[in-house]
Amino acid sequence: MPRRLLPVLSAFLGLALAASAADSRLVVALMPKAKGNAYFISVKAGAERAAKELGVDLLFDGPADTDAAKQNEIVENWITLGVDVIAVAAENKEGIATALRKAQRQGIKVLTYDADTLPDARSFFVNQATPAGIGNRLMDEGARLCAGQGEFAIITATLTAGNQREWMKYIQARLAEKYPGMKLVAVRPCDDLKDRAQSEATALMSAYPNLKLIMAICSPAVPGAAEAVKQAGKVGQVKVTGLGLPNENQRYVKEGVTGAVILWNTDHLGYLTAYAAVAVARDELKPGAKTFHAGALGDFQVVGDNILLGQPFVFTKENIDQFNF
Amino acid sequence: MRRHARELGVTAVLLAILATLALVAPAFYQTAPLRSLLAREAPTLVVACGMALVIIGRQIDISVGSQFSVCSVAAGLLAAAGWPTALAVAAAVAIGALWGAINGALVAGLGLPSIVVTLATMVTLRQGLNLARQGEFVNLPDQVQWLGLSQTAGQTLILLVAGAVLVGLAWALRSLAAGRHIYAVGSDAEAARLAGLRPRRVTFAVFLLLGALTGLAAAMNLIQSPQVQPLVGSGLELKVIAAVVIGGVAISGGRGQLWGVLAGLLLLAVISPALTHLRIEAYWEKAIQGAIILLAVVTEGLRRRAGGKGAG
Repeated sequence: MPRRLLPVLSAFLGLALAASAADSRLVVALMPKAKGNAYFISVKAGAERAAKELGVDLLFDGPADTDAAKQNEIVENWITLGVDVIAVAAENKEGIATALRKAQRQGIKVLTYDADTLPDARSFFVNQATPAGIGNRLMDEGARLCAGQGEFAIITATLTAGNQREWMKYIQARLAEKYPGMKLVAVRPCDDLKDRAQSEATALMSAYPNLKLIMAICSPAVPGAAEAVKQAGKVGQVKVTGLGLPNENQRYVKEGVTGAVILWNTDHLGYLTAYAAVAVARDELKPGAKTFHAGALGDFQVVGDNILLGQPFVFTKENIDQFNF
Repeated sequence: MRRHARELGVTAVLLAILATLALVAPAFYQTAPLRSLLAREAPTLVVACGMALVIIGRQIDISVGSQFSVCSVAAGLLAAAGWPTALAVAAAVAIGALWGAINGALVAGLGLPSIVVTLATMVTLRQGLNLARQGEFVNLPDQVQWLGLSQTAGQTLILLVAGAVLVGLAWALRSLAAGRHIYAVGSDAEAARLAGLRPRRVTFAVFLLLGALTGLAAAMNLIQSPQVQPLVGSGLELKVIAAVVIGGVAISGGRGQLWGVLAGLLLLAVISPALTHLRIEAYWEKAIQGAIILLAVVTEGLRRRAGGKGAG
């Protein structure tokens, strides 16, 4: 008799073990600013790959539209649900802090990525790009496109936007330090409008006949400037580079109008964020760490409580097809 | 002459800037870039003409920027879905006319203040669009740009359409009974009613027309590049209202000329490329535009205090 019971018993035991293993699977909750946004869908893809490698469950939820209040609501739901770790791209720096602190008090680990909250409301911020990294890379790519020689102009969103001014500061520092053959002749705002950037670029090219490069440091200005160069029949003569999204620039990059588009790799951002979230939840990543190892992507620098994604990524004719956001 | 002092004043300032450019920065007058810049402003002129009619009729519509965005994105999506460009253009006009009719019905039918009604439609349309597109560009099929014509022909066509709208509406305002009715209603709706006009119909009609023109303008803009940014048209309402006011249309209704609006728009539009050509820092741009608007409003105030409220 006992011999016949044994398999049944062991089957039960196995089931129970499996169930408890499922219970202990770590739950990572990842929040985008807006869940239908192609940018964050790409972040999600990277995070899902990481979750699979790490054997954890990934929840991905966020507002349909960018909506700070809705983000708070979702955090509250996750607290009730009892997830292990939350990683948020904060729509409103201060607005979400209260809900995140509440989560921390309930024993849930909290990180931010893409856009930070207040430092006391999270343990780490996965920082996709530092102003120095962006500014230097833009200037380097611009100089590369026109062989370090000639006049160039910058199109920004507005003259007062904080991030744009930060980037400009590093662009100008890099210019002074490394590229004596180049000269910044004009800075024009486009109010984040592609069509206005096109008009600005048209006027720039007619006012500065020796212009060699237009550097667009807000994303809609990159395709706007490229269209202007194309319509002016100056492809090749005036190069275009800037900070932008691959999808918006694909046609111009492939046609050779825009030489290089700079942005961080959003898939890697998601991957790194998920790895960091799991490491924080498992107490493997603690304050004071100097580096962090994230699976297939290797080691990342940690500065204070910022995990740095590193050098911005350069989209060119050769690789832009591989990205869809 | 006195009757058109405002229009003449604006035109004089515009000519002074153009003359300065001719002397100091003759590169401004290269044909191809200038034609490009004018083609880029042509849709704004079409909206400004419609706005002038609404303001002459003593109303205002601050939802035109949002209407412009919605028409652009809708027409872009239809073109991307394989509709012939002509149908996509017609759809833009129809959608614009629909929103114009909604604004007009709420203002004329329910007697609501137009600034409140159009503020509501402005926010609704803009947020609805944000929700639907999340800022994602619409990529257009190749044959949409310039309607399949050459770039020069396409730009020339756009300029001709804008010119036709301007001349046609200016003629209608001056010579058609319907045109005169707009002035009458804008001057004094009650007097117009007692004289046998139907002010509500006039109000509805100017909103409808502005909506349709905004849709047309969206289409004129759509065919100038291979992709649509959903944010397109943001801030358009301020630009056209400013152009209308600078151009001598009384914000209190009943007075104004479309050629003044043309001068007002060109004055606003020339500032940015003029600063680029004169190598003046962009910081000055908004300040100069603001000063021009302020000057226009102040002279308007002085004119009204002097009691010279003519019918145009």
